[in-house]
Amino acid sequence: MLGLRKKSSPRQVSSDMKEKQKRYEALVHAFHADIFRYAYYLVKDSSIAEDIVQETFLRAWRSLDSLKDEKAAKSWLITIVRRENARRFERKQLDLVDIDDTPVADETSMAERSVEHSEMQRLLASLSVEYREPLILQLLFGYSGEEIAEQLNLNKNTVMTRLFRARNQLRDIMSKQSEVRGQQNG
Amino acid sequence: MDELEFRRRVYADPDTTDPEVIAAAQQDPDKKAFREQLRLMNAELKQAAKVPVPDDLAHKLIWQQATDDFVQQQKRTRWYVALAASVALTAGVLGTLIFTQQPHDLGYQALAHVVHLEQELPRISRSMDLEQVNAQLASYGGSLKNAIGDVEVVNFCHLEKASGIHLILNTEQGKMSVFVIPQEKGEKVPDNFGNEHYDGTGFTLQKASIMVVGEKGSNLKPMAEKVRQNIQFSA
Repeated sequence: MLGLRKKSSPRQVSSDMKEKQKRYEALVHAFHADIFRYAYYLVKDSSIAEDIVQETFLRAWRSLDSLKDEKAAKSWLITIVRRENARRFERKQLDLVDIDDTPVADETSMAERSVEHSEMQRLLASLSVEYREPLILQLLFGYSGEEIAEQLNLNKNTVMTRLFRARNQLRDIMSKQSEVRGQQNG
Repeated sequence: MDELEFRRRVYADPDTTDPEVIAAAQQDPDKKAFREQLRLMNAELKQAAKVPVPDDLAHKLIWQQATDDFVQQQKRTRWYVALAASVALTAGVLGTLIFTQQPHDLGYQALAHVVHLEQELPRISRSMDLEQVNAQLASYGGSLKNAIGDVEVVNFCHLEKASGIHLILNTEQGKMSVFVIPQEKGEKVPDNFGNEHYDGTGFTLQKASIMVVGEKGSNLKPMAEKVRQNIQFSA
């Protein structure tokens, strides 16, 4: 590979660069949105998520040659997001007091669909990270239990249990809330 | 499939295509209802998972890459420039070292000169008188009080690093050369030197380095002494 590179003419190199550029842009368009969302649900902060995504894609550009196919690229990006997040976590642990472990305050009415969505988003974000992360991988990337297990380096049964508990918790919270609403409305 | 297992599987993946789960749901209305509920919730969750993405994120990522590439290139260029500068510096230092390095010492230069001159000598064969010798020495501020022998040739000579007067004398011991070289700063004349054909001796007198070179094994001391006693320098 290196040998070939050295022999190639400047024109060849520049066309290689263009090819690489194209691949990178395709990668950005294909994955930036879901990678951002994944990062967002990891850190629960839009601007930090954006930083992580930028760092992630910068790394992707630098090692684009090693990203063979789409599936590998997706998994690779997820891994880098996780690593960047962990790094950030090491840097400033103090910033990460988990305010989301407290029950979600019900400030919104059921009035609008978009509001309902944002409530669902808060519910999702309120899950502890060990439940939240596999669930988000399933929801965003359509990963199977095996794929999540592989990505997170976990046992498949563990993943299935976590997915089960994640939805179970969400359902509990939702039914409690609708009970409260029912009482308030009644 | 029992209730618990059914719920486990549906909770883990409401959209599962597991035939066992689907069959169980078809057989039991309660299970079917549960599965429907979970699928509905899952649809909402999927929707919720899609938080809005900053509008310009894709552009930023592409722009950032272009900038990074540029910066990397700059860094690379800087690296090359640094390397080039370092090479230039090394070359400069080495060059200076070589340039300022002491050339072969005067003795060696004198020997080399003698070898060359020998080949040109035979045709010229006449004695120079003291006046002629002094006329040449005068340009270096020197003169001989008395003749030091049969001077065959007196001439300017250019050694590797210095120039001066070269006298060739006929002696009983064969041809001898006397070099009178104005002293350079720090230039030292070796006391004794020689190679396979010649021997030389040198000394410093006032502002001049004097060297006497003769054939191998010849006694140079009498000639050196003669020069030492007779040569003088003005001011």
